[in-house]
Amino acid sequence: MRPLDENETTVVFEKIFKFVGNNLKNIVENPSHEGPEQDPGRYCFRLHKNRVYYVSESLVKRATNISRKSLVSLGTCIGKYTHAGGFHLTIMSLSVLAANAKHKVWLKPTSEMSFLYGNHVLKGGLGRITDSIVPGDGVVVFSMSDVPLGFGVAAKSTQDCRKLDPNGIVVLHQADIGEYLRDEDEL
Amino acid sequence: MDMETDQIYQIDVGNLLAFNPNHRFPSAPSSREELVKECVTEGTKLVQAIADTLFNFPSTETNDGPLVQLPPPTTKLPREKHLPRPKPPTKWEEFALKKGIQKRKKDKIVYDETTDKFKRRHGYDRVNDDNDIPIIEAKASDEPGEDPFAKRLDDKKKRVGKQEKNRLQNLKTAAKAGALPSHVQLAVTALPISGTKTQPQKLGKEALGDVAGLAATSTASGGKFDKKLPGEKPPKKQGKHHKYLPVLPRYGEVDEEKEQTNKVLSKLLSKHSHEILNVGKAIDMYNDKKEKKKSGRSDKLKAKKDITKKKPYANKAK
Repeated sequence: MRPLDENETTVVFEKIFKFVGNNLKNIVENPSHEGPEQDPGRYCFRLHKNRVYYVSESLVKRATNISRKSLVSLGTCIGKYTHAGGFHLTIMSLSVLAANAKHKVWLKPTSEMSFLYGNHVLKGGLGRITDSIVPGDGVVVFSMSDVPLGFGVAAKSTQDCRKLDPNGIVVLHQADIGEYLRDEDEL
Repeated sequence: MDMETDQIYQIDVGNLLAFNPNHRFPSAPSSREELVKECVTEGTKLVQAIADTLFNFPSTETNDGPLVQLPPPTTKLPREKHLPRPKPPTKWEEFALKKGIQKRKKDKIVYDETTDKFKRRHGYDRVNDDNDIPIIEAKASDEPGEDPFAKRLDDKKKRVGKQEKNRLQNLKTAAKAGALPSHVQLAVTALPISGTKTQPQKLGKEALGDVAGLAATSTASGGKFDKKLPGEKPPKKQGKHHKYLPVLPRYGEVDEEKEQTNKVLSKLLSKHSHEILNVGKAIDMYNDKKEKKKSGRSDKLKAKKDITKKKPYANKAK
């Protein structure tokens, strides 16, 4: 386990920025309430075996007691580095993203299941959508009852969405909570 | 203006030089500023003289302006480097002098008796080529198991080596006298270049180690399969040299990781700070406002509600 390099930090922050925008500051400087000490400090990012974890500092202190081979996971895993050095956000970062998301999309109950199986969001399944979405922006997908279902990348801007036919793709799927069952081994 | 003083100036246009040999300071200059002023005024006159001569030359028109071909310079500048120092005579030159041997000019083409032809002295198809000898007659002094052809090659190698040694020795004596020929390629630590005073620096132990490491790894396979010399230590730090931050900030020390994250964060936010203003949205809002204003004006044509007029049956619940 080690803290992130400067280049690695830039890559991770860029990816998160696509989803949360300026709320990134809140994520990085979130005061932590864990730990029995008076001031458990903030949340920080740690790298362990190509995965980036979002942990509070008090937890990191305790995790240093575990050897590298035995350490499986700590805090919340927000993503993985690929072989080539790129970074992908995984579904486990949903709690962090959903709380600070800038662009949100609400799905109708009928198309929830389709999204949870890994399909993209079609215009016919769209309930609500925040405006000023640019194609390529990160979007968090909610159900109508404000339960975060996953996240993806916007394929069209909000204006274009209105002109789209009902089978057009609005949000490209990146991660959904169905992956907890499907890809149990990989997470 | 009258330029009779032009003749007194010595102008060398090739070097763009003007010299006034008859200048005298009328009085000792009282201050530095006066001296400077006097020099500047005199200098301007000289420069004016040069400019005048330049403009009198025939010029060709180019894209950048008139181009003048300057004549070759007339002032002789002193030598940049010293005259070549007299070399000490080489060992052969000493011997030749002692014995009175004269140099003979050798021809390029020599008559070859074996083939009755004129062949060149050196190079392809030369006169006394070693490879062309078909038969070497055995002498009484020859040992039975010896190969005379191989022996000839061996002798030649020895002669060449000896000559090379002598050549280097001659160079060393010349270098000692400071008369090394400039075309000689010099190794860094072997001989200093003539004319300079700096002695080549001796490499320290660390520097030598670094250079040796560099040399060892600059093979096609990174030095992995080379045989190690006796006494050679294994290389120190191999692979990529990465310095990582400590996992937890040391007690009482500056939290470098926090600083790094803050730095990256501020860089990222400032890069995207231009996106705070959503230009499209602003344009839409502005247009909406304009529309509203427009429709507001046309309301004047409609009948205005008269607020002073009371409603007839308002709350008359009696």
